[in-house]
Amino acid sequence: MTVARVVGWLEDRSDWLSPLVVKEIRQVVRGREFSLSFGACLVAGLVVAFLGATDVLAGGTAGRWTFVSLMACLAFLGLAVVPLGAFNALRRERVEQTFDLITLTALSSRRVVIGKLMTQAVRLTTLFAAMAPFVAMSFLLGGIDFVTIAVSLVVLFMASLWMCALCVFLSALARARALSAVIFAGVGIALLFAAGIFGTAFRAISMGIFFGPLGGGPTTSEVLWILAGLSTVWLVTLVNLVLLAVNRLSLPTEDSVTPLRLGFLAQLLLFVGWAVSFLFEPPNIREGVGLMLYRIGCIHLAAVAVFAVTERPAVPRRAVLRMQPASFPGWLARVFGPGGGRGAFTVFLQLLILVGALALFPIDPYDRRRILTAFGYLCFYVAVPTLAFRLAFPKYATPARLGIAMLVTLAAAMALPDLLYYLIFQPDLLSLEFSFRQLLNPLQTIANWRIVETNGWGLIPSTIGIFGVLALVALVPTGARLAAEEASVGATGRQLESSAAAD
Amino acid sequence: MSEAMLQIDGLVRHFGGVHAVDDISFGVERGQVLGFIGPNGAGKTTTMRILATLETPQGGDARIGGYSVVDDPEKVRRMMGFMPDYAGVYANTTVEEYLDFFARAHDLRGESRRKAVDHIVEFMSLGDLRDRHVESLSKGLKQRVALGRAIVHNPEVLILDEPAANLDPRARIEFRTLIRELATDGKTILLSSHILTELSEMCDAVTVIERGKLLATGPVEDILQRLRPRRLLSVRLAGPGDRLERFLVEQPGVTNVHEAGPCIEFEFEGGDDEQVQLVSRVIGAGFPVLEFAAHSAGLEDLFIEITEGRVQ
Repeated sequence: MTVARVVGWLEDRSDWLSPLVVKEIRQVVRGREFSLSFGACLVAGLVVAFLGATDVLAGGTAGRWTFVSLMACLAFLGLAVVPLGAFNALRRERVEQTFDLITLTALSSRRVVIGKLMTQAVRLTTLFAAMAPFVAMSFLLGGIDFVTIAVSLVVLFMASLWMCALCVFLSALARARALSAVIFAGVGIALLFAAGIFGTAFRAISMGIFFGPLGGGPTTSEVLWILAGLSTVWLVTLVNLVLLAVNRLSLPTEDSVTPLRLGFLAQLLLFVGWAVSFLFEPPNIREGVGLMLYRIGCIHLAAVAVFAVTERPAVPRRAVLRMQPASFPGWLARVFGPGGGRGAFTVFLQLLILVGALALFPIDPYDRRRILTAFGYLCFYVAVPTLAFRLAFPKYATPARLGIAMLVTLAAAMALPDLLYYLIFQPDLLSLEFSFRQLLNPLQTIANWRIVETNGWGLIPSTIGIFGVLALVALVPTGARLAAEEASVGATGRQLESSAAAD
Repeated sequence: MSEAMLQIDGLVRHFGGVHAVDDISFGVERGQVLGFIGPNGAGKTTTMRILATLETPQGGDARIGGYSVVDDPEKVRRMMGFMPDYAGVYANTTVEEYLDFFARAHDLRGESRRKAVDHIVEFMSLGDLRDRHVESLSKGLKQRVALGRAIVHNPEVLILDEPAANLDPRARIEFRTLIRELATDGKTILLSSHILTELSEMCDAVTVIERGKLLATGPVEDILQRLRPRRLLSVRLAGPGDRLERFLVEQPGVTNVHEAGPCIEFEFEGGDDEQVQLVSRVIGAGFPVLEFAAHSAGLEDLFIEITEGRVQ
């Protein structure tokens, strides 16, 4: 009776998270892919253990290379096979048309994504458990310490789960079968490379780069701090990948934008918080941390901007209802909700936070100008094409078209000046050196900032940057205006309908 | 006044320049079975997907049990079961596991979930197939399992898109019986099909759309009455009919009298009472009436009459 009650309780908990877990695990366990990977895991473990034992009998200490070999096998499965399975799990739902059937149930997109991810976590745990006796044997064979083994396993598990979340997100991107197949092939190749890179990293770990025989690395407490930091970043980015996937899978009536905006804001605040924790260190460390924050912040801001600025200006009816109450959730929805130019506002807000945080660090004035220019270019290439498209062709400004407009503008700015120069002036030599005409190219300009300053060309990048920021700010009222126009069109339509009904 | 369990008001959905659903409005009353018919590309599936909350309308609204598909999709999903025109089955999953999964997905827990699955297995006569893998079943059985999936959470409204497509005659008859049983249970059902003879046996009313526009809605007889206000009647005598032809031409409401094989056929404008009086007059005049028949037009006639067969 008690056992049945416990099982019932566990079932309920599992269903509360996502009923997909039970169904998917059943499917996975009965599938050929799992039998093959589990079998391969055991065979590889047995072979490596046998070779290790032979080496020990011959008088060697085979623990380290045994462990490295086992980790290489696990890295291949955890970073390539399992994430590819995660990608395929969602892709199959679309191909076999079962995704719509799930959408019709009480399962939210969030529970679907969590279910897919948890299934892969269970699958990873099973594979790790299969390897556990052999990993324990590598410790017994000598030459490798327990901390290295534990840290390596934890890091690999975390990396594998992160890869799975990334794959679920990538799988959520493509609705069309053909595009999905192309992404599937691309992801497969990329994961093989990722597995190779991680394999090398684990080899480095086991060789004592971080701990043990080679020395010179950080102390155990420093390693734990690094791990704590990495775990926090892992968790926040993992949550954001889940939110991104949820956003892609949600129906237009659902508001999946607000959590995503808050998630990415939290991610930025985490980076800023990490950097601020170094504020009491010596100036050279602070400057290094400041420059690191600039690089991370630039990547973060570019990723957020591309998605947030291009979103549709229309505010879904449900989101409008949610924005009305004068409560905290209502206030959050009004600031971070979907449509109405809020995407551009979010990017501007994050830009201000980043610039404000960077002001706390003793960065060289030359680097400071370079950083501000980089942010200006980022705003320019994100906001100017979007604003121009929205004003010129508001009906055709879909997120995909705006993304293409951005890419085309950037590509044109990078290639056209050189192309026009060679077509018009027809010089004998193809000079790859940085020159005035490449000031439109953000990457070249930032990389050659010293030349820009030496030649006094700073006015052009500054103007571009100011235009970029102004365009970003202008996107806020433009989005609000377009949203209001769409709402008034809808309201007029409804009024006409009701007056016609009254007639 | 009867209660509309499913109400569509001015629904609009465009895909680029294609007006898939163009300002259509109709309602389905509680316990009614409504056939949703129209040529291919008429906008039936898009309308059904909007009702199922899988698509968002660009204008208008639809309500199921009073809840808007745009504003309260979660509540709508709880009240509605949707069966698309594909089975949507999982590999390596038995019939029982399949139904159990969807019961869990509808937030049914513990004993209530087990009871719901058992009820569906019994109602759909799936007992012998409980442990069979769904993907290995025949098309007809898959459809039966799919219908079971759609009603596992006991919804009040059922939306069935081409449920009998590609089924063999026996499976079709079984399916029809199931639909009638569900209607008897009080479910409100909206179903689309191209097999019109079958629809006419299952449905209380029909809605016809073409190129996204509503052409007609209501009971088949009422629509036909509106389209063809005259009835087509025929009389067969135990002898020559020349005198009857002349007699009929003089009767009120009778037009287009002509010979049709052994019978005299004519159009009659009037209700049941007027028809009774006409029959009485014919017999009273001493004609040896062997047969008197009213030729009712069917759903196919209606469909052909009001649709143009044009696609977008």
